[in-house]
Order: sequence, then structure tokens, then C-alpha cells
Amino acid sequence: MGFLVESLRASAALVATLDPDLRSAVWVSLYVSFWSTVFASGIGIPLGLGIGLSDFSLKRPAITALNSLTAVPTVLIGLLVYGFVSRQGPLGDWGLLFTPEAIILGDAILAAPIVANFTLAAVRGADPAIVPTALTLGATRAQSTATLLSEIRFGVVAAVISGFGRVVSEVGVAMMLGGNIRGFTRTMTTAIALETSKGEFALGIALGIVLLAVAFAVNVLLHLLQQK
Amino acid sequence: MIPSPLYRLDGVRKLYGDRLALDVPFLALREEALYLLSGPNGSGKTTLLRLLAFLLPPTAGTLSYRGTAVEWKDGALLPLRREVTLLHQAPYLFDRSVFDNVAYGLRVRGTDVGAAHRRVVESLQAVGLDGFGGRKARELSGGERQRVALARALAVSPRVLLLDEPLSGVDKPSADVIRDVIGALPAGGTTVVLATHERAPFPGGRGERLRLSEGALLTSAAPGDRTGDSPGGKDTHADL
Repeated sequence: MGFLVESLRASAALVATLDPDLRSAVWVSLYVSFWSTVFASGIGIPLGLGIGLSDFSLKRPAITALNSLTAVPTVLIGLLVYGFVSRQGPLGDWGLLFTPEAIILGDAILAAPIVANFTLAAVRGADPAIVPTALTLGATRAQSTATLLSEIRFGVVAAVISGFGRVVSEVGVAMMLGGNIRGFTRTMTTAIALETSKGEFALGIALGIVLLAVAFAVNVLLHLLQQK
Repeated sequence: MIPSPLYRLDGVRKLYGDRLALDVPFLALREEALYLLSGPNGSGKTTLLRLLAFLLPPTAGTLSYRGTAVEWKDGALLPLRREVTLLHQAPYLFDRSVFDNVAYGLRVRGTDVGAAHRRVVESLQAVGLDGFGGRKARELSGGERQRVALARALAVSPRVLLLDEPLSGVDKPSADVIRDVIGALPAGGTTVVLATHERAPFPGGRGERLRLSEGALLTSAAPGDRTGDSPGGKDTHADL
């Protein structure tokens, strides 16, 4: 018990003094999470909108596939992307392996189905009169879609936040594609795993506190949006 | 030469799955007229209005607008939809201010900001909601919402205004305003098709009645108002 209290005290000091290792891991985490969420949203929002608004024979299987993709283990995505970006892979020449960009790529693949699913749910939950109303007032198909997007904006923001929440807390993709290089690809989650395995609980707990704070902030934001 | 009717429906049928929702062998509607569309719930009124608004293609038959058969493709429908506006029974108001709602149709048309502002103000005045522009549309009463939706439709100066029971569930002052505004539209050049349960919504029994039952058109307009062409050269609105 005393050991835990001591670790907590040491971690509080690390947070308070903005320890360089802690700062670096937080920065890398937020950097890769931000950009992977941006790319995931670029794919997921149009995908969710497209599936939600169109009628095609394979719509139901497409939705099932999208649902399934949200449950794919992070290490599987890591493995898949590793195969592409490793030296022997088709993207090997790009030198992406063990870079933040590789983590961004993997995390974007991880978050895109989540963003798409939440967007699809927002479209399906929207008032069916939105698009016909826009059309009968003279909107083009693109304008009516933009209007729908505006009307379900809170749902779409919730989709984006959920995507961010997923990637900021994952460890498999960051470990496999980033390589956990100190000050370069070490994220909060990979640092926690490493420091704990080394017995350095203080830094692990300090990072855990920051990670929890980020996750808490994301959930509070999500909760506030869902109340709108 | 007899001018072609505004709308002409030939053998139009609409099915939802196996269910026949609308069956109109022939119907012609004139410009600048006031039509009263009646029938029990589920008789096909909304389906007919959605069809006339170019929001719903028929399963079979031809719908012609101003002498041209409608081509059910987005690019071809846009100019038609910009002449015809449908006011839904429970109109959807965008999650914006009243002003932005009324300005919507003008904005999507790229209307100049100053002209759009004037038109929005005029439209709100017309429905008795002067000064409501800054209010949130979602916070209005049912009657006010219906009037905002009417102002939004009026703002785009439609050639045809289709209304799906705009007087139902509306307080009397709002209903009176809506009735007055709608009643004055044909004289200003707008064709009105009003779905209503009321026997005589306008003074003096104004309006040509179209009756639907179980998707079938039962009666056409009043005999004294017949114009337009029809198959076989009969000078009627609807061929029963």
C-alpha cells in the first residue's frame, strides 16, 4: 500500500514539474491521435453519410461489415499495416515504419469505422423530412446533404470524438507501427506499458493520470453534446 | 389555341411494395388556380402532393409539367423543384433562427444577400411574424412554426405551392392567417393545391375540389372551371 502511495506521490510530482519524458509522450499521443482522427473523419463521415442516404442492394451487409470493423483488434490492424509499410511491403520505400506517420495510418484505419458507424447512426436517427424539405426549397442534392450534415452536427461531432477517444487510448497499433521510440514514437499508452514492465510505476501512473484526464475530457464533451 | 396545363398526369400509378397508393388515369391542373385535395387518411393525398413536388417518381405513367414529360433525374428535377414548393403536414424547421429558415431557399439559389433580406422580411410580414427573425425556430408554438414554414415557402416565390393539411392542429389565429395568405396566392399568379379535411376552407366555396379514396381520384374540379386538354379532346380536368 505504501508503495502505491509513494508511486502516486512521485507521479504527481512528475505531472506538476512537466517531466520531459511525460511531456513528450503526451505530445506524441495527442499529435498522432489528432491527425489520425482527422483522416478517419475524412473517410468515416462521407462513408456513414453515403451508406445512410443511399439505397443499394448490399446496404445491410455493408452495415454489418462496418459494425464488425469497429471490433477489429488493434494488433490485427498493426499487423496488417506493418505488412504494407515494412521494408519488404508495397509501401516499404516510403520509410514509414516506426514513425508517427505509421501510427497515424494505423489509427486512422482503426477509427474510420467508428466514425462511420456513429455518423450512420446519426443519419438514421435524423428526421426523414430534412432532405425532402431542403429539396423542395430548391436545394441541389449536395446542398441538401450539407443541410443534413448541419442538422446532425452534434451526432457527427460525437462520432469524431468517439474516434479520437479510441485512438488516444489504444496501444497495439502504436507499439507495432511506432516501435515505442523515446521522444519520437512513444505515446502515453506505450510508455505506460514500458515503464510498468521496467518497474517504473511513477511515470506509468503519471501518464495514466494524464490519459485518464484526456479520456474524461473526451467523455464529458461527448455527454454534453448528446444532451443538446 | 388551348394552352397546355401546368400539370398533366397520364396513367400515373404509385405503388409502395405491392400496395397501390395512387391511381390517377388522367388529371390536368391549370395555372393560377386553387385546388382543394380531400380524402380520408391514407387515401393518397400526400403521395399525390409529393409527386407534384417532384420528390417522388411514379411507378408507372407520365407526369408532365408545363407541357414537358418530367425526367426523373436530379439534374433535370432541380429547375422544376425551384418552381414548386411543398409545405409538409408537419413541416421540418431547421435548427437555426427563423430568419435563416425563411432565407434557406433563397440562399441555395444564390440570391443576393440584400435582396434575400428584403424578401425574408416581406415573407415574415405576410404571415404576421414580423420581428420573429431572430427567434430560434425550434422554440416557436405549433401555429407559429406552421407560419414560419409558410413564410419560407413564400420567400422563394413559387409558381406552385402544394400544402399538406397546413390548417390541421393549428390555433385559430394562425389558421386564419394561413388561410388568408393561401387564398390570395392564385390572384398573384401562384397555383395552389391544398390538401385539407375542411369542407369549405375559403369563403364563398372557392377552390376546385379533387377527391381521393384509397389512392383513386374520384372527382375532378368544378365543371364551371374546366380548361386544359385531355385524351379524346374532352375539356375536363380528370378523366374518370
